[in-house]
Amino acid sequence: MRNLIAFFRRFRVFLVFVVLQIFALSTYFSFLQFPRAQYLTTASSINGSILEMRNDVTKHFNLSKNNDALQRENILLRERLPQSFHRLQYGLVKIDDTLYRQQYEYIPATVINSTVTKRNNYFTLNIGSKQGIKRNMGVFSEKGIVGIIHNTSENYSVVKSVLTEDINLDVMIEPIGMVGLLKWDGRDPRIGSITGISNDLKIKLWSKVVTRGGSGYFPRGLTVGHVRKLNAVEGKPLWDVAIRYSEDFRTIQRVYVIKNLMQEEQQAIEALIPADKEDE
Amino acid sequence: MNEVIKHSIRFIVLVILQSLILNQLEIGWGIQLMVYPLLIILLPFELGTIYLLTIAFVMGMVIDSISNTYGLHASSLLLVAYLRPQIFKMFAPRDGYDNLKEGNIYEMGTRWFIYVFGTLLFIHHFWFFILEMFRLNDILLILQKTLLSLPLSFLICLLLQALLVSKPQER
Repeated sequence: MRNLIAFFRRFRVFLVFVVLQIFALSTYFSFLQFPRAQYLTTASSINGSILEMRNDVTKHFNLSKNNDALQRENILLRERLPQSFHRLQYGLVKIDDTLYRQQYEYIPATVINSTVTKRNNYFTLNIGSKQGIKRNMGVFSEKGIVGIIHNTSENYSVVKSVLTEDINLDVMIEPIGMVGLLKWDGRDPRIGSITGISNDLKIKLWSKVVTRGGSGYFPRGLTVGHVRKLNAVEGKPLWDVAIRYSEDFRTIQRVYVIKNLMQEEQQAIEALIPADKEDE
Repeated sequence: MNEVIKHSIRFIVLVILQSLILNQLEIGWGIQLMVYPLLIILLPFELGTIYLLTIAFVMGMVIDSISNTYGLHASSLLLVAYLRPQIFKMFAPRDGYDNLKEGNIYEMGTRWFIYVFGTLLFIHHFWFFILEMFRLNDILLILQKTLLSLPLSFLICLLLQALLVSKPQER
């Protein structure tokens, strides 16, 4: 017993170091996979309010650029209003539409904190569960997709952006419809990559990359970026497709959160697929 | 000025500077500026390692929680605090450390500061980028990030001392 106490006394500095280090590292590696608590992230109310104050100052830096973008989008939407159409036929009656049902709803939000230089970059939004934000909702801006909601508190939420290592969104290259997984190598915030594309396919440079809408986070056909370069993967018949994101994440401010009204239905039917057997 | 208040002010200034300004800068080439290890080296010489570790842990966690890095800064700063006594011993002046002084560039001299703080900052940056990348394939990128960030962080730390440390009176 005395030896044990002597041991602890001798190595107490090292033990304290190891315990604290294990705590820090375990939070780091577990938070990368799944969020456990909000109080250690920017979703907590104290940190959120600090960042909101900072954003009050810095949001004006890109104001004119953002205004231009919003104006462009307004023009697009205004062109679809009934007032901007010339009526060709009279006497039609408006009926309740039974062919189409609303599937996606959009919630506007502002990015109050963002990084692009880290290996895994997370953005903070100024809306949270009070506004109906839940985990795994898609986030996009008017230029392209941004990420997926990772963690929410009452008034704030954290987005896992496409600038993270294991974002793994399913995207497709437009004219041929080839599907791959979106990843980021951590080097350039403008360039992402798509893996899992067979190299017997002819892919034109600058062809458009859009979301596939497979996992229910995003509707089909949202812009992601454009093909920049094709790199051969060593030892595998695959392309590593480098794409240029259409959104510039360094100046991102206004985003929309996607609420998929049919996500539960999709997940319920996909849960019926039997799991792969281990021995095969 | 009271020692506790002095160090608390430094703590707050460094946390705000790091989490709200420096973590938002994008310089390119993977450069990331980190200046908060300055607090650890400026703490009094006679302070025990346990206290050092606690302060480092709290500071790292505060910065982590504001910049969404979940323990990355805390882990690197803990390593700095743990190695501080060893590094100090390695570069000790001939007649030991004077407890009335503190480890800044004015009182300990340029040479001592460059050796000691350079070593600690290198360890900090290297550990930080290794954990952030966590892949052996990217070792060149890790080294590039470390070696490019280190001089800039060091330079800002030198400038910061003019702000945070009161110069001793010229005689």
